[in-house]
Amino acid sequence: MAILLIDWVGAVLALLVLAAAPLALGSSYIIGVLTVALCFGIWAASWDFMSGLTGRENFGHSLFIGAGAYAAGFLNVTFGLSPWWSLLAAPLVAVFFSILMGFPTLRLKGPYFALAMLSGAAVMQNLTIIFSEYTGGQDGLNGLEPLLDPPLAQYYFTLACLALTALVLKFIANSPWGTILRAIRGDEASCQAAGINVTFYKIASLMISAAFAGVGAALYAHYQLQVGPDLFAVVLSINIIIMVYVGGMGSIYGPIGGAVLLNVLTEVLRGFSEYRLWVYTLVLIFIVFFMPQGLVAPLWRRIRAVTR
Amino acid sequence: MIQILVYGAVISAVYAMLAVGFTLIFGVARILNLAHGSFYALGAYAVYTLTAQAHLPLWLAAILAVLLVAAFGMLIERLLVRPLRRSSLAVLLITLAVALMVEQALLLTFGSEARNVPSMVSTTYHFAGVDISGQRLLALTGGIGVLLGLWAFMQHTRLGLAILAISQDAEAAQYMGIPSDRIYSIVMGLSAGIAAAAGVLVAPFQTVIPGMGLLPLVKAFAIVVVGGLGSIPGSIVGALLLGYSETIIAFKVSIEWSQIVSVAAVLLTLVLRPAGFFGKRAAF
Repeated sequence: MAILLIDWVGAVLALLVLAAAPLALGSSYIIGVLTVALCFGIWAASWDFMSGLTGRENFGHSLFIGAGAYAAGFLNVTFGLSPWWSLLAAPLVAVFFSILMGFPTLRLKGPYFALAMLSGAAVMQNLTIIFSEYTGGQDGLNGLEPLLDPPLAQYYFTLACLALTALVLKFIANSPWGTILRAIRGDEASCQAAGINVTFYKIASLMISAAFAGVGAALYAHYQLQVGPDLFAVVLSINIIIMVYVGGMGSIYGPIGGAVLLNVLTEVLRGFSEYRLWVYTLVLIFIVFFMPQGLVAPLWRRIRAVTR
Repeated sequence: MIQILVYGAVISAVYAMLAVGFTLIFGVARILNLAHGSFYALGAYAVYTLTAQAHLPLWLAAILAVLLVAAFGMLIERLLVRPLRRSSLAVLLITLAVALMVEQALLLTFGSEARNVPSMVSTTYHFAGVDISGQRLLALTGGIGVLLGLWAFMQHTRLGLAILAISQDAEAAQYMGIPSDRIYSIVMGLSAGIAAAAGVLVAPFQTVIPGMGLLPLVKAFAIVVVGGLGSIPGSIVGALLLGYSETIIAFKVSIEWSQIVSVAAVLLTLVLRPAGFFGKRAAF
């Protein structure tokens, strides 16, 4: 789909709402919730770029997130480098892992890629616990420095990174590159028959996806000021997939909306205390059942169709 | 040495019971069932409720627990999974949602503290210098019994043959008049029942907590990948392999490293021989 004027208007409006939200709501707690939501937005968009476009579901996105976050933690805490180096190092380490995992598994068809990514993340989670003298074990690495001092400044920096991520990923997705990725999703065998090096495109898009996940991880680590083995957890990967599904797969902007929406929903549901997860799961079942295309992306398509 | 042999056998039997059901529902209906671990947890909690609260005799409680969980599995298949079977991601998410709901429901009704289930056999056997509780031996023999029963059922009954036929070629089986929807339901019940039986057998010597289904799910998953997705003999071999290597590493190295065995085995299998030991290559 070509990007129309209405899309730019929508993107700017969404940015303005996100920029105004902490000013209007004020409290530092809300700023924290929104910063985390934006990090999830980056992760969801980067997941969607690889898996939503090529149809290869990645069940171990947390591998890239954890690797990036620990890279940030080691550089900042163990070696005492400035936190800004994390923004470079985290994506590099994440890309390294994407090559490591992508080469053996992406040439295979079927669910193997998903399973290998899932177990790769689980192996790393166990390794952080086994080598606890370097990684801090269950407690992880503590005492990271924030990127920017007032949390509000860090929020706006994260927002800028999210906007950049969305712009770059959407741009690639709309280029001939993106068309090839969608063609792989449609029919891999035909792509090969047409002379497209399918494996190259899949691995390259996994590398791009990992790089942005790494950026999000660095931002998250320097906001939480702590990294732990939970960043490798399968639950994190699955949460991201849920956000993408709710947002609408393959649209890049939808997953960001899904991430913000579900993070805010979890906060709103705090009122239900112990029934919170029940309600959350019910919402999930409802969406999977009645909105198989997701929530955010189809809604936007409808708005577009009206204004046209 | 003997200790490793016996404990490894018990663990392998429990793992095999979990993995067989997991691989069965994948091989037949192509459902990666993330709620499989919650069937195991439900089995343990059902036997706890029926004995400690309803005061039924233990053997009756065990049978009832297995039947109840099997019925629950069929219900889930009919209500939630069947309408979504076109999309594999939707099925994954819905089974995940079921797993979360079950865990939360257990947490809300029973609380987070561990529950105790009485042993079915109270004697402790002394065997070549090793003490082993009767309950562990019961888990071992029960596991072998269930697996043999399943094998006989699959090979020697019309229903079992129909299930095999569907797993080999669903479309051709349908042309032969096998009602695939009903078979999927039965297989889901069967797989849930076997998982529940594993939960019932280990409940006396495992900590019964709401989140107890997660780890077995990961293990079942690993075994099934190592043995080959959809292959029952493969999952039994995989269970023996993983059960023993975990026990050996836990005894000789440390418990922490034993946790990594299953996931590392998955990675190695996927890189070296993705179809697993007994899986058909490029079957899906």
